[in-house]
Amino acid sequence: MAKKKEHYRWAARGFVAPGVLLVAVLLYLPLLWTLFLSFSTYNGLGEPKWAGLANYLEMFQDPDFLSSMFNTLLWVVGTLAVPVGLGLVLALMTWNLKGGVWLRLPFLIPYAISGIGVGLIWSFVLQSNGALDQALHAFGVGDTPRWLLDAPLNTIVMIVAASWQGVGVNALLFTIGLQSIPKEPLEAARLDGAGGARLFRSILWPMLRPLTTVVIGLSIVASLKTFDIVLGMTKGGPGRVSETLALTMFNDTFVNSQYGLGSAIAVFLTVVTLLASILYLRQQLSKKNEI
Amino acid sequence: MNRERKISLVAPLLVSGLLLAACGAGGGGGASGQTTGTLKFYTDKAAWKPQFQSLNSTSLKDIKVSLDTTGYSDANQYEAFVKQSFRTKQTPGLFSWHTGDSLKQLVDQKLIADTSDIWQKAIADGNVSKDLQKYYTIGGKQYCVPMNIAYWVMYYNKKIFDKYGIATPTTWAELMNDAAKLKKNGVTPFYQTSTLFTFPWFETMVAGTDPDLYNGLSTGKVKYTDPRIVSIMNDWLDQAKKGWFSDAGGKTDPAQMLKQGDMAMLNFGTFFGGSLDAVGMKAHVDYDYFIIPAVNPKLTKTPVPVETGPMCVTANSKQKDLGLAYSKWWMTPGAQTAWSNARGDVPFNPKAQLKDAGLKDLGEKVAGDKYQLVARYFEAAPTPILNVALEEFGAFSANPGDPMPFLTKIQDAADKYWASQK
Repeated sequence: MAKKKEHYRWAARGFVAPGVLLVAVLLYLPLLWTLFLSFSTYNGLGEPKWAGLANYLEMFQDPDFLSSMFNTLLWVVGTLAVPVGLGLVLALMTWNLKGGVWLRLPFLIPYAISGIGVGLIWSFVLQSNGALDQALHAFGVGDTPRWLLDAPLNTIVMIVAASWQGVGVNALLFTIGLQSIPKEPLEAARLDGAGGARLFRSILWPMLRPLTTVVIGLSIVASLKTFDIVLGMTKGGPGRVSETLALTMFNDTFVNSQYGLGSAIAVFLTVVTLLASILYLRQQLSKKNEI
Repeated sequence: MNRERKISLVAPLLVSGLLLAACGAGGGGGASGQTTGTLKFYTDKAAWKPQFQSLNSTSLKDIKVSLDTTGYSDANQYEAFVKQSFRTKQTPGLFSWHTGDSLKQLVDQKLIADTSDIWQKAIADGNVSKDLQKYYTIGGKQYCVPMNIAYWVMYYNKKIFDKYGIATPTTWAELMNDAAKLKKNGVTPFYQTSTLFTFPWFETMVAGTDPDLYNGLSTGKVKYTDPRIVSIMNDWLDQAKKGWFSDAGGKTDPAQMLKQGDMAMLNFGTFFGGSLDAVGMKAHVDYDYFIIPAVNPKLTKTPVPVETGPMCVTANSKQKDLGLAYSKWWMTPGAQTAWSNARGDVPFNPKAQLKDAGLKDLGEKVAGDKYQLVARYFEAAPTPILNVALEEFGAFSANPGDPMPFLTKIQDAADKYWASQK
C-alpha cells in the first residue's frame, strides 16, 4: 500500500514538473533578471554593470518620474470614479428593467476594441482641430481647450476615453452581482418600506460587496499598469507630461536604452501593484466576515 | 526504476531539453562563407519593403543574392529587437541602422563587420563621394554602407505660393517675409509636430546661424544654454507667437496637410517626395522644394542638413559573407539606379541613372561650393541627449514659452552624457 502511494507521488511530481519548469523559466527567471538589471547600468549591448541603488535614487529624483507617478494616481482615482462608478449606476438602472440587456449592450461593444485602437479613435476625436473641436466650433464655441496638449487635462480626457471602453464590462459584472442577490431579503426590505437609495444602501450595496471587491481590485491593478491607451493618444507627451509609470518604464528602457532605470521602475510598479492588491483585498476580506 | 519514477524524471528533462533546444536553435555561429542565396534583411523602414523586394530581380541577375525583408514599423521595437539579437546566435545578416552615436555603440562592442575594403573600392571607382565616408568611419575604419541619403529641404505647396505671388526665397529675410505674407492671408506658413520630428526647425535655425555652433552641440563644446542658442530659441518663440506654425497636436498626415493647404511649407528630408506623390500631389506642379537659405547672410556656404542611414552586416552572423557580398553590390551604379528609381530618392552614387532629374540636380548642387553639408540633428546628437531634446522640442512646440527650462533639461542630459564619456 505504502509502495503504491509512493508510486503515485512520483507520478504526480512528474506531471507537475513540466508546468513548474515552464513557470520558472517564463515567469520567475525574467522577474529575477529584471530585479538584477534594476541594480545595474545597461544599454542593451554588452554586459550589465553593477550600479547598486543608483537607478532607484535617480528614479526618485527625476521630476518626470514623479509626474508619471502623479498621473498614475490620477488614473487609479479616475478609473474608480468613472468606469466603475458609471458601471454601477448603469447596472442599477437597468438590471430590473424588461429589455435592460438592450440598454447595456451598446456600452459593451467598445470592450471588443484593443486599448491602442481606443487610443487611436479618441486621438482623432480629441486632437487639435479634431472631431470634437469641429463639433464645438459648429455650435459656436470658438476657443476650445487643447485636450491632448495641456496637463493634467490630457490625462483626464484619456481617462474619459478609457471609461468609454470600460463602463460596459463593469455594468455587466455588477448586473451579474445584482441578479445573484436572493429575492427574499429584497422583498422583505420592500415590504418594510425600503426603496431607492435606502434599498441600495442597506441591502444591495452590502450584498454586492463580494463582486465590488473583485471589480475594484481588478480596476486598481488595471489602472496601475495603464499603457496602451496613452501610447495611442499622446505617447506620453508633449515632452513627458502625460506618461504613466508603465509608459515611463517602456520609454526609459526601449526609447532611452536605460534598461537598468526601466527595470527599477518595473520593480517599483510591481511592488506598488502587489501592495495595493494585498492591502485592498485583506481589508475587504476582513470586512466580509462582518456581514 | 519503476515506470512512474521514470516518467517523473523524463518529463522535466524533456521539457528542459525542448527549452534549451529553443534557446540554442540555429547555434553554430560564424560566417558560412556562402556568397549567393537568400539574405535575411531587417529594417525599421517597413514601408520601404516593396522597394527592397523589387530590387531582387536585379540583384539575382547581378550577384545571385535576393533579400528576404522583414520590416518593423515601430522604431523602438526594432532597436530593441536588433540589440537583443546580438545576445543570440540569430543575428541578422543585413540590417538597417542609424549613423552617428547609434552606430558607434555597436562598433564599440565589435558587433559590426568592417567594410573598409568595399568603401576603398567604391571611392576608387567613383561610386560614392568621399564626403560621405566620414559618417561611416569610426576609429579609422569604415562600417556598413549607405542605405539612403536625404537632404533636408523645404517642401512647399506650389499652388499656394502661386496664388499669393510668392517666389522661392533665396535669403532668410525673404523666407521670413513670405511667412508673414502667408499668415496675413490666413495661411499657416510652416508645419510642426510635438512627436519625433520635433528637431528640424531647431536644426535649420542653429546650423543656418552658425554651423560651428551647431556642430559644437554634438561634440559637447557648446552648451544648450549658451546665450547664442537661447537667442535662436527666442526667435523661434517669436515666430510661434506670430502663429507661423501648424498646431503641434495635429495628427493628420503631414503630406495630406500640405495637400489640403493646412500649411504652405514643411521642412523635411528628400524622401518625403514619395509621401506627397502617394497622396496624389504632382512634383513641380502641386509641390516643389527649395534649399532653405542660411539665417546668417554672411555665411559663404549655406548649410544643408544631410541624413544618411546605414545598411550593416553583423560581425558574427552566419550570413556575414552573403551580407558583405550584397553590400558590395549595393554600391554599384546598377544597384543604385534600381534603388533610387524604386524609392524616388536621391542616389549616393553619382553614376546612377535617375528618372527624376530634379533629384539628381539637387545632389549635384549641394556637392558644389555654395553649400556645406551638416549632419542631421537626429544622427549628430548622441542618443541620450537626442531623446531628451526630441521631447523638449516637442514640449516647446506644444507650449511655446521661455526656452530656458527646455534648454536646461537638455543640457542636464548633455552634462550627464559627457561626464560618462570621460
